[in-house]
Amino acid sequence: MRASSPHTTDPIHRQGVDLYFEVHGQGDTTLFFIPPAPITHSKIFKAQVPYLARHYRVVTLDARGNGGSGRPTSKEDHSRAQNIADMLAVLDATATNEVILVGHCTANWWCVEFAAQHRDRVAGFVAIEPGVPFIGPVHQHWIDTHETWDSMLDDPQGWELNNRHVYLTQHRRWIEWFFSQQLVEPHSTKQFEDAVEWALESTGEVLVAGEEGIGIDVPDREDFRRLCAAIDYPVAVIHGDRDICQRVERGREFAELVGGELHIIEGGGHLALARDPVKVNQIIKQFVDRVSGARMESYVWTRGMSRRKKVLYLSSPIGLGHVRRDLAIAQELKRLRPEVEIDWLTQHPVTPVLEAEGERVHPASEWLASESAHFADESTGHDLHCFQALRRMDEILVANFMVFQEVVEEGLYDLVIGDEAWDVDHFWHENPELKRGAHAWMTDFVGFLPMPDGGEHEAYLTADYNAEMIEHIERYPRIRDEAIFVGNPDDVIPEVFGEGLPKIRDWTEAHFEFAGYITGFTPPAADEAAALRDELGFGEGEKVCVVTVGGSGVGHDLLAKAIAAFPIAKKEIPGLRMIAVAGPRIDPAGLPSHPGLEVHGYVPRLYRHLSVCDLAVVQGGLTTTMELTAAKRPFLYFPLSRHFEQNYHVRHRLDQYGAGRYMEYAATDPEALAAAMVAEVSGDVAYRDVETNGARRAAALISDLF
Amino acid sequence: MMRARHPDVAGTVDRDRVRLGYEVYGDGSPTVLLLPTWTIIHSRFWKFQIPYLARHYRVVTYDGPGNGRADRCLDPARYAADSYAEDAAAVLDACGVAQAVVVGLSMGGQYGTRLATLHPERVSGLVLVGPALPLAPDPDRASIAENFTKPYPDDCQGWDKYNLAYWHDHYEDFTKFFFSQIFSEPHSSKALEDAVGWAAETGASILEAEAMRPPVGGDGTRASVASPEAAVALWSQVLTALECPVVVVHGTRDRIQPYAAGVEAARLSGGELVTFEGSGHMPNVRDPVRFNLVLRDFIESLAP
Repeated sequence: MRASSPHTTDPIHRQGVDLYFEVHGQGDTTLFFIPPAPITHSKIFKAQVPYLARHYRVVTLDARGNGGSGRPTSKEDHSRAQNIADMLAVLDATATNEVILVGHCTANWWCVEFAAQHRDRVAGFVAIEPGVPFIGPVHQHWIDTHETWDSMLDDPQGWELNNRHVYLTQHRRWIEWFFSQQLVEPHSTKQFEDAVEWALESTGEVLVAGEEGIGIDVPDREDFRRLCAAIDYPVAVIHGDRDICQRVERGREFAELVGGELHIIEGGGHLALARDPVKVNQIIKQFVDRVSGARMESYVWTRGMSRRKKVLYLSSPIGLGHVRRDLAIAQELKRLRPEVEIDWLTQHPVTPVLEAEGERVHPASEWLASESAHFADESTGHDLHCFQALRRMDEILVANFMVFQEVVEEGLYDLVIGDEAWDVDHFWHENPELKRGAHAWMTDFVGFLPMPDGGEHEAYLTADYNAEMIEHIERYPRIRDEAIFVGNPDDVIPEVFGEGLPKIRDWTEAHFEFAGYITGFTPPAADEAAALRDELGFGEGEKVCVVTVGGSGVGHDLLAKAIAAFPIAKKEIPGLRMIAVAGPRIDPAGLPSHPGLEVHGYVPRLYRHLSVCDLAVVQGGLTTTMELTAAKRPFLYFPLSRHFEQNYHVRHRLDQYGAGRYMEYAATDPEALAAAMVAEVSGDVAYRDVETNGARRAAALISDLF
Repeated sequence: MMRARHPDVAGTVDRDRVRLGYEVYGDGSPTVLLLPTWTIIHSRFWKFQIPYLARHYRVVTYDGPGNGRADRCLDPARYAADSYAEDAAAVLDACGVAQAVVVGLSMGGQYGTRLATLHPERVSGLVLVGPALPLAPDPDRASIAENFTKPYPDDCQGWDKYNLAYWHDHYEDFTKFFFSQIFSEPHSSKALEDAVGWAAETGASILEAEAMRPPVGGDGTRASVASPEAAVALWSQVLTALECPVVVVHGTRDRIQPYAAGVEAARLSGGELVTFEGSGHMPNVRDPVRFNLVLRDFIESLAP
């Protein structure tokens, strides 16, 4: 899922070439993003566009040769003149008079010449790692390989891969080499994958044409430098000082030559815009505000000692599990500190639950890109690769962090509580100067774990993510003022973070406080249970089996399997009744019907049904399984395949309580499921008690922070 | 006593036989002119702003007639807002400053507004801090003007001390009362001491002359703009006609100039409003950090 969807995308055709562009947002000021095609396309700006489109109108161009645009193969088709004509055509097609140009790498050469030819269309220019000629020194590897560009090399290695024949025959090899060199920052696996994927949407042949095309009609050195020196619109240069493509000295000299401002990202490489997106976004925003003459706006500042105590609570919207425990913690917090005001920054499906409880949802919540829709989009059948889904959510996390940061800066909050608010925790560690207020981090699992089918590469990736998290906490212990594990030390899985990394349990015990589990409700006592069964219409002789698959669309397959098992099981247990809860994203009408089976869309307060059922068939999500554990009901649980949290972390925790029967979805046919249902229904369970004071303990830890 | 920042230039201007002391700090751009306010205090009330602003800009302050390094003038005409505006222009001339960002607090809000009206080319932006502009009713103090020249009661308390005879008889006590109202924030003892000290550098006769100043507008006589409606109409017109960017800074616990007047001033001038929730009449003294940042943001937003 993308964090921002364009409202205009119809490509235009110029001299036989499709030109794909997007328009996001609106406003009087337009930013025009130009990627250095054909090695990449406009997705390279994916961390910038959603944020900036909330403030301005944004037009992005897939320059010819990649993305949604055509793939002409002659070098004449990739001249600077052609690209400049494309830029103009898109501005005309979108009725855009004047823009602030944002270019990356060699696209900045087009931008400089575009502005020289169409001065009236340019109000300002953000040059990110500018690839402009005749300015500053050039990396030796470019000088060396310029000589061998057209040679047939025997066994090219390293930078020798910068060779037209290699491009044509081993395109991927060059691309992987190039980006592996550019991403100098540790833990850049996702940015590397993205860059390679986008590059490979084009071909070696097009890339050769692009490389050779940009050099057609090269201007005279002094003429070009005079052109730059004559620039009379505002310019900002952003440059990583470890850039392996364009040396930082080039950016520095370009900034001096044009009289622009220079922003160095120290420690950053050529893809600082992807690797340090928050900082790059803020630089661009501040520059555009200055250039567009944004005036100071009215606001209220409350004296420090006149402030009410305010908490901003972020409750993860992935699944519905967090909100109930977060409400319980909020309630305890208000009991301890009656004067506290809590604002919630969160999104569907958490928002309606909070509103129903009379909680205050911050209006900026509507700006958040949907994390739950992304996860639904990542699921198929009974499968959700939750680690990869989280990685692929990177664009949404940047966009949502930018919303959060604006809220927290304006709201003067004393405390931010992030219940698995990954964006806040990650980007406050990456940009520690942005921290506002105390920060309480909460989670119910620690450590990404690889699934077996992911092989060595996935083990490498999860270890890399874990290592980054560990380094974050070691380097900036001041970012998490409190870290609360929702559970007990024994619930932490006895694994290591990865090769050469600590044991998860040791590290977690050293870095977290343990609240015990937090259900957010009290299971009914025996007499209450009987009354509740009455109230819910569970008959005396009935054996009620509840099937629930949570709020996402991922549950259809399990639901269908349970329904198929129902008539088989009912032969054994005539009193069997099945209540199947499809959730808001599955159409109940599409499911088969049987006597004794009822299918519901949404069931309010479903935990009441679960707490008095005779059997439940569920996925492996923590909240539902622990609700059943707390209520001591028999249940069969099917972790989503490739969902490391459900398969490892949740299963390990349920084992601590001796709760539930683990089932493997792929290995269970309706007959086997029916047999398991018959075996477990109404069975006596001997689960360990689930603690009931977790919310109180968590609130007590948090309340010490403000 | 050490000052955090000493002036680079300390000079005087003689305008029409009244001598005014001015000071210049720093050499950045643009120039920020920090105006005098009611002459009960002098330019030291900007002491928390000067060192910070002078690191970024050129700062000009001066003392208006009646206090600090200015003549103790007894001519009411020299306390008219338009006279202050002419003084300010003369100080800018003396410093060789063509244009400045102008900051006025309380009565200084009137002076700055008049400067921007009479000499718009001198003002690139205007900051009005708790401006003394009669734009919102203030029922608590309705009786003050009425009783000002009458005898004060034996057991004189509260705003009854805002009385000409009381000033002459109990000047220091009046200043203590007045500044206790200015600094409505808790823990303001030092701010109060400072202000009472500056007030001791002038006296009741000066304040009497100031109180008899000709009003803005009308034909210059008090009678011609006596009604509150006329004053509102006059200042509304003046503010609406302002051409420069304006920001109003106003504390919600301002007991001297009602917050509602600041809201109205921002609306009429088409300016922005920065509300200091919980602050009194001199947020520059009691909330200097945020106040300084507001000035910086405003000045930066004016950059071409």
